Formats: sequence, C-alpha cells, structure tokens
Amino acid sequence: MREIHPEHLDDMARGAGILGTGGGGDPYVGKLLAQHAIREHGPVTVVDIHEVPPDATVVAISGMGAPTVSLEKIPAGTEEVTALRALERFLGRQATHLVPIEVGGLNSMTPFIAAARTRLPVVDGDAMGRAFPEAQMVLPGLIGVTVAPMAVADDKGNTLVLETVSNLWSERLARTACVEMGCSVSCADTVMRGDQLADGLVPATLTLAEDLGRTVREARAAHGDPVAAAARLLGGVRLLTGKVADVQRRTSGGFARGQARLDGLGGDDGRSLELSFQNEHLLARRDGEIVATTPDLICVLDTDSGEPVTTEGLRYGLRVTVLGVPCDPRWLTPGGLELAGPRYFGYDTDHVSLNR
Amino acid sequence: MITGIEVGPTHTDAAVLTDAAVPWATAKVPSVPGDPVASVRHALAALPEHPRTQVAVGLRGLAQALDERRGLAKVGVLRIGGPAAQAVRPLFGWPAGLRDAVCAGTAIVEGGGGFDAAEWTPLDTGAVAAFAAGLASRADAIAITGVFSPVDGAQERQAADIIHRELGDAVHVSLSGELGPLGLLERENTTVLDAALHRPTADLADGLRAAIGGTATVLVTRGDGTLMGLDHLRRHPGLGLGGGLAGTLRGAATLTGLADAVVADAGEHRVRVAALTAGFPQQALDAQISGVPVGFWMPDVIRVARGGPRAHHDLAEAVDRMQPAAGRLPLIVVGGAAADVPAALPGVSEIRHPEHGAVAGAIGAASSPVGGQAERIVRLDPRTGLQAALDEVREEARASAVRAGADPRRVQVSEVTQTPLPYLPSVTLRLHARASGPAHPL
Repeated sequence: MREIHPEHLDDMARGAGILGTGGGGDPYVGKLLAQHAIREHGPVTVVDIHEVPPDATVVAISGMGAPTVSLEKIPAGTEEVTALRALERFLGRQATHLVPIEVGGLNSMTPFIAAARTRLPVVDGDAMGRAFPEAQMVLPGLIGVTVAPMAVADDKGNTLVLETVSNLWSERLARTACVEMGCSVSCADTVMRGDQLADGLVPATLTLAEDLGRTVREARAAHGDPVAAAARLLGGVRLLTGKVADVQRRTSGGFARGQARLDGLGGDDGRSLELSFQNEHLLARRDGEIVATTPDLICVLDTDSGEPVTTEGLRYGLRVTVLGVPCDPRWLTPGGLELAGPRYFGYDTDHVSLNR
Repeated sequence: MITGIEVGPTHTDAAVLTDAAVPWATAKVPSVPGDPVASVRHALAALPEHPRTQVAVGLRGLAQALDERRGLAKVGVLRIGGPAAQAVRPLFGWPAGLRDAVCAGTAIVEGGGGFDAAEWTPLDTGAVAAFAAGLASRADAIAITGVFSPVDGAQERQAADIIHRELGDAVHVSLSGELGPLGLLERENTTVLDAALHRPTADLADGLRAAIGGTATVLVTRGDGTLMGLDHLRRHPGLGLGGGLAGTLRGAATLTGLADAVVADAGEHRVRVAALTAGFPQQALDAQISGVPVGFWMPDVIRVARGGPRAHHDLAEAVDRMQPAAGRLPLIVVGGAAADVPAALPGVSEIRHPEHGAVAGAIGAASSPVGGQAERIVRLDPRTGLQAALDEVREEARASAVRAGADPRRVQVSEVTQTPLPYLPSVTLRLHARASGPAHPL
C-alpha cells in the first residue's frame, strides 16, 4: 500500500504512454485531471492485488470515446463518480476499490480522478496490461467476469446502465450511446470480487508504468540510452532502429487504420520494418517476415528521447526504435487470441511469438 | 508596389516588390536592439524613394517579451464550459512566475458546446458580468475561452460584449476561437498569452503606423505564414508569434517558386530548419512558449548551431527530419549567412541558394497574402450532408481572412482538410479550412 501524489503521475503517465502501444489517447491531459483532483481532494492510496480482501467489490473506471472531443470538452471531473454511483445503485452495494481497465494511454489516469473524490483505493493492476480499443478486450472476460452491468455517464448528468448478453454487446451499445452523449463518456464496469483479481487482472501494472516513466526520464537525464533502458525494464526485444520512411492512413469503422514503413539506421542499415496499426500498433513485419503481432505490445519510441510515438504522431523522418514486448500470457490462450489476436483485427496471420 | 520588412535580432531587411520577378529594391541595415519600430524606420530610410501603398512587417520578439515578462498585461481568465470542463482549472501547470505575472483572476462559467447543436449549454451571462465586475481595476485584459468555440464563437463574442459593458471599451479582450485549433487547455493558454501581449503589441502597432505613415496599408506576419492588418494584430497579438520565421519560409517559396521544400534559414549563430507544405509553413505539434503548451499555429522548426565540427552533420539530419513525405524535397537556403551552407549535404538531392535569399524574410512579408482559418467537426449520417458542412467551414475561413484585413472580393479558400476522429463507430470528420487573399486597400 502506498500513497500517490501528483508528482508520481508524471512518470506514470509517461510510462502509460509507452504501454499504450501508439493508441489509448495521450495521457497528458488525463494526468492533469488526476493531478488536479489529488491536489483538491488529497492523495490516492494504491494497493497491491494481494492486499485486497476476498469479498471486496472492485470496479473498473475508464473513459470511452474520441480523445479529440474529450481534449476539447474536458470533463467536469464528476463523470466517473456519477457512473460509479449509478452502477452501485444497480448492484445494491458500494464499491470498495477502483481499478484501471487499461494501463496504456489516457485510461491509466482515469481511476485516479474518481479515487481522489471518493477516497477509494486504486488496485495496482489493470484488465489488459496494455491498451486495446474495445470494451470486450479484457482479461477478466476469460474467467467469466462480464463487462456488464456497465454504467455510462456524460458531462450533462445523463447515465445509463447496460445489462447485456455478451461483452461484445456491451461494447456495441455503449459506443453507440457514447456518440449520442457527445462522443466522450465515463464508464464504470467489469465488477470483480477481491478473490477474482489474481486471475482476472495483470498485476502491478501501475507500478510498472511509473517505473518505466522514471527509467526513461533518468536515462535521458544521464545522457544514456532511454530506449535500451525501457527495453530492459519491459523484457522487450528491439525489432528495429530506423526512421519513418512512409505513412499511409485511412479510416473505416471508427478505426484509424494504416501502415508505416521504417528504414533501418546504424546497425539496422539495409533492413526495413512495416508497421500496421488500427489506433494501436498491431503488427510488425521486418524484411517481409512477421516478427511481432498483437496481443504482444509493439511500442514505438523516439530513439533519442524514449518518448512514445502514437499512431497519429508517426510521420516521415522521425527517428524511432520499435520494441516488441511480451503480453500477459493469458492473452495467448485460445480465448485471449480470439478477443485480441491478429485475426480479430483482420490480419490474415496467427500470433507469432517474439524472437528473443 | 509592396514593401516588406523583417526585423531580425541583428539585421533588419527590406525589399520592394512590383509585378516583376525580381525585387525592385532591397536593403539591409543593423537592427536597433529592443526597438523594432526604429529598426523599421531605418530600413525604410535605406530604400530608394518609392510610393508606400502597402508595407508588411515580419514580427519577431513577441516570444521574448513573454520570456522576459516585459510589459505584460494582467489578464482575467474566463472559461465558458461549465458544468463540464471543470476538472482542470485555468493556468493549472503553468510556471509559477509567469502565472503570477499574468493572472488577475480566473472563473469558469456555464456555457460552451459540443460537436452538434444539442450539446450546447446557454451562456450564464450574469456570471460573466459578475466576473468582470470583480476584476475592475485589477485586469488590463480578459482572455475568453469557450468549449468548442473554434466550431462556433458566438458565446465568446457575447461574453466579450458583456465585459465591455462592465469594464468599458478600453479593456482588451482576446477570444480563443480566433486563435487556435481544438484542444481546450492549449487554446486557453494561447488566449491568455495573447491577452498578456496586448500592451507591447499595441505600442508596436502605434509605432509602426507612425513610422510608416498614415496612408499605407500596414500589415504584419503571422505564425501561419499569412498576414494581418494592425487592427487584427491589436485584437490578436499572439497570432504574430512565429511570424518572423513564417515570413522567411514564405520568402523562400516566393524566391524559388517552390511550394513544397525544406528551408534552412542561416543566421548569425544558428540555422533554423523548417518545411513548406503547399506554400505555407508546416505547423508545429506540441508547441510550447515560456514553458506553457500552446495551440498557436507556428512553424515547426529545428535549430542547429552554425559552427562546430558536427554542424554539417546536424544540419543534414535536421533537413532529413523536416522532409514532410517520402519524396525528396529540395532544400532552399536563405538568410544572412546562407553562403556558409555547403552546396552539397549528405542525403539532400538538391540545394538552392536563391538570389536575394539574404532578405527572404522581407520578401516573404511583401509577397504573403492576408489569411484566415476555420474548423468544424461533423458526423456523417443521413441527417447531415458533408457538403453543407464544407460550405460552412469555407465561409467561416473566408470571413476570418476578411477580419484579418483581406479584400472580401478577392479572398479564396485554398484548402479544406478532412481528418477522421478515431475511436468512434460513425465516421466523424474534423474539417479545417484556410482562406487567403490580397489586403483590402486602405
């Protein structure tokens, strides 16, 4: 158990950006929101999974929608709590702990906003160990925990509680409602008992994000190699160091799809790597051979600074290093691959293990 | 005849353009440190006698005024966005010194919008009036930032009217919708800095008018590579930030006839490397001024030292980084020290050293149009046609250019970009239009 103060969130947000694998929304404004809430209401307690009592009621808090909209119409700060209260009314009991749905990107910060206001502790872990674009892409689903009942709240005070027949329907209905509610909503869902967390969550990912952000910052300050430091910490494989040579984009069905070609530099001179992305980086082909696929993490970092490069930020001339980082092993089970393997995203390939 | 002047840190350049391909006259004089108006006067005096019908000045030094906190106004910061948009207060995260120098008080009042009509909350006019009344004699300027104001600025204008009613017409009001793109906190920061700059820019505008003379149309450069009249500068001082470099990039385009290129501006101590896209500066993402993230349209730039053993290597790498697309664009070298940039750099296919490149900033100021921009977000469904939204955003860009001083009969919309928003099931587009045209004759 430890207390999170505003200054801890700087490193955590930087690390969450890297774990966002190119998507998940820029954590910067999310960090400001969380820091603001902590300044106003006091520090947030973060607890390890094994510190949570077996009968605890743990609720995942997240935002859904278009980052472009939420960065313009920033929230009131009460939406998460509104969603949480609506869910509690439906459940007939109160949440005892909050948890991020995804450690990657903006949603790593979202539970801290609600936690500061409610004084509830946040569990050190998340339901993905990375970022994914859809609500059903969560590990608790593999042990039978459903996304629904799912409460959705907008800034206007509207709330909605969904009971659905599957997690896929939760995603579909919530996202449609999200558009009608202004394209940016807060969600409280994926209710777990304390004794389900060890099987349902990826443990200690908030600490991992903070360690990662700190490692990169310190390596940069010491004029070291921040990318190498990040790779060591994550147990990642360097897939290529090079520069962005070409980016092709198109949008269909709510996904920013595209490809980027990277030409190798230095020791990778003469090699090339093709990245395929749909909001997140999902597939990497080096010299024509697939070397990394979702659900493993494909992290693109600025070679000099170690800062994460988002799919939107990819542009010609950027010097980047691509890391392949092993996902949580539960993603590689048949159920996990069905939710978030390459075929779900429309790539005609099986998962390819990272070659270390 | 159009006269262009660029006030640089060491030299002030001037050029007179006619319809001919080559400048009618050019001049270079030492800058008067800390006195851009005197520098302009000296540069004009160094030119041969000519009719001054239109004079455009490349601005620099506004960012310096912020860094040095020189002559800044005390700003009342008003956000229109409640009941949403409360979670981060205005100026949160600013360096304390700058915040203390600038801030006269903040408030968040009810109002603001979303990306369709049903999302708008009525403006709490009483709260605006109360905020203004509470600031009387404490604030020289008010910065107003409304949620989704780049899409519809009516509430910001309504709030400005209330503030003028409460505090008189003399108080300066900066409106965010005129200043930057979507992204509330960055645009709000932008608006506050804009308001803080109104005193030094008002002095500058008065000085330029006096130095240039009463009958000429006087324009200044903007960070997006267009020009604006002195009245627009007074209303939106921050639009001048980055204008010096933007004017130089425009000059490189004019001198070579190239619309897409990388440009190296070689100055006394360092080289600024930037890119031209469709004749205008490539915009910076994640721009910061004085440690504050801002949403101004300013050129993306990499600065490299001019001397030292790695200078050529660093320059070649900067040029490569600035290449906007896979096609190898030529490099245009301009600036006072252009002759010191070698004729060949590794990885650069073509290097041009245009004649008169030493006064590219002045030529860019003289040859740039007056401009404006506008944004819309539109969800594509059977109820909303794309064409209506495109027409609307074009019209708003045109109106913005006219407000900046363009001749309404000759403004043209140059480009409308359509960017899809991710993480939404329906196709939702962000539309951005730019318009430009020659200055309205005085």
